[in-house]
Amino acid sequence: MKTFAKIIAAPLLIASASLGVPALAQETPSVVVSGDVKQVEVSTNADGEEVTNLVDIDLTVPGTRLVFRTNYENTTSEVIRNFTLTNPMHPSVRLAPDADEDLTVSVDGGDTWGSLSSLSVTEEDGSTRTATHADVTHVRWTIAEIPAGGSGQVQMPAVIR
Amino acid sequence: MNTKPLLRPLFATTVLATFTFSAPVMAEGVVAGTLIENTATATYEDGEGEKTVDSNTVTVTVDELLDVTVTSLDGGPVGTAPGQAVLSYEVTNQGNGPEAFTLIADPAVAGNDFDTVVELIAIDTNGNGVYDDGVDEILTGPETTPELAADEAVTVFVVVTVPGDANDTEVSQVELRADAVTGTGAPGDTFAGAGVGGVDAIVGTTGASAIANGSLVIGLITVDLTKAVSVVDPFGGTGAVPGSVATFTISAEVVGDGSLDALVITDAIPADTTYVAGSLALDGNPLTDADGDDAGSASDAAGISVDIGTVNGGDTYEVTFDVTID
Repeated sequence: MKTFAKIIAAPLLIASASLGVPALAQETPSVVVSGDVKQVEVSTNADGEEVTNLVDIDLTVPGTRLVFRTNYENTTSEVIRNFTLTNPMHPSVRLAPDADEDLTVSVDGGDTWGSLSSLSVTEEDGSTRTATHADVTHVRWTIAEIPAGGSGQVQMPAVIR
Repeated sequence: MNTKPLLRPLFATTVLATFTFSAPVMAEGVVAGTLIENTATATYEDGEGEKTVDSNTVTVTVDELLDVTVTSLDGGPVGTAPGQAVLSYEVTNQGNGPEAFTLIADPAVAGNDFDTVVELIAIDTNGNGVYDDGVDEILTGPETTPELAADEAVTVFVVVTVPGDANDTEVSQVELRADAVTGTGAPGDTFAGAGVGGVDAIVGTTGASAIANGSLVIGLITVDLTKAVSVVDPFGGTGAVPGSVATFTISAEVVGDGSLDALVITDAIPADTTYVAGSLALDGNPLTDADGDDAGSASDAAGISVDIGTVNGGDTYEVTFDVTID
């Protein structure tokens, strides 16, 4: 019974934690953050060249490429500093192989951060290997200053596993 | 001993076992109906201090991919004679959602020397890789597999009748096709709302339909070998003790029509036994132990060998020899 109680307790903690966040956010945030998701459509143009377009979600199956986009806007007349945007990677998707190499990512649930090539993964048998796109659990962007009224967008390309 | 008839069934079993073990391996692929949700979180400092804000949550529902593969499990042509023959196939749901597949067996494959008649299609209900009459579920029309989970495979048997006029060494193929029940078509074709939980279903690269051919070869003549032993101990009983005499009987039955050349039956003298000189016999007629003077030869080192020569369907032969237990 102890184990069972623990299992129940863990989701409760998480639930209360996530409830707490929107409560803070409700006091008219200085930065509005909004996300959307598009899927990547590859088509061929009149010249026979491959063209990739971001289109609304239609049919999504394993292998479909998605782009999670997050828009941010400083709605105040003050400078916003140390803006850090963290986007978790859903377990059903992996970071796209052609994602920006300089993205700051985590492969351990957000404990340590760096470029993908600087991170490693410890296997169950204790051995370590270089992290791959499929290991990424979070992507993070840091923007030192957003000027008053400034806005921008970051993108996280992903592939459905 | 002509070991071919023995080796073949062994080989077939190995091949089946390999496939059976490989079946549960799950390919990566997110299951249809999965919700991929994403919420970004931002922290920043404004004039009042550090703040945290969440984005809205965006959600993508994974649609159902319809894909299937069929493979023959026989590992080569199945040797058979006129009458019933069984072909084995594996149907694998390569999609990412639960799906049943309609099965169509076609015995009229181009290039066939003869065509069989399909009697039934059955599912390997007990999972032993062998068709068990009365145990394995016989499908009724339209023959359809049970719903297979994503990446699940099922073994399917097609039982056919080989016509009586098929000739020795002639070959015939039977095609098994599996079609996704939700629908088939060109890759990318969609069936709106037809997937699991009402998601869209989309035809994958296989067209949601796959075929595989199983193959039969007429081997009108085969040799069935059986070996038996009886023991007489020095005290008149049947105990296997030092000094006991063991009589081995190798029975060869030639099955089918036609003839077979150069049938040689060989066997080794078991360890810790000694061949009883002069005990080798074919059908009760003694053969000498020496090599070259008649059909038989025998020694502890080389074992026994009986060259029977050309044999005909229906023939039976019996080779006997004695050993003493050391």
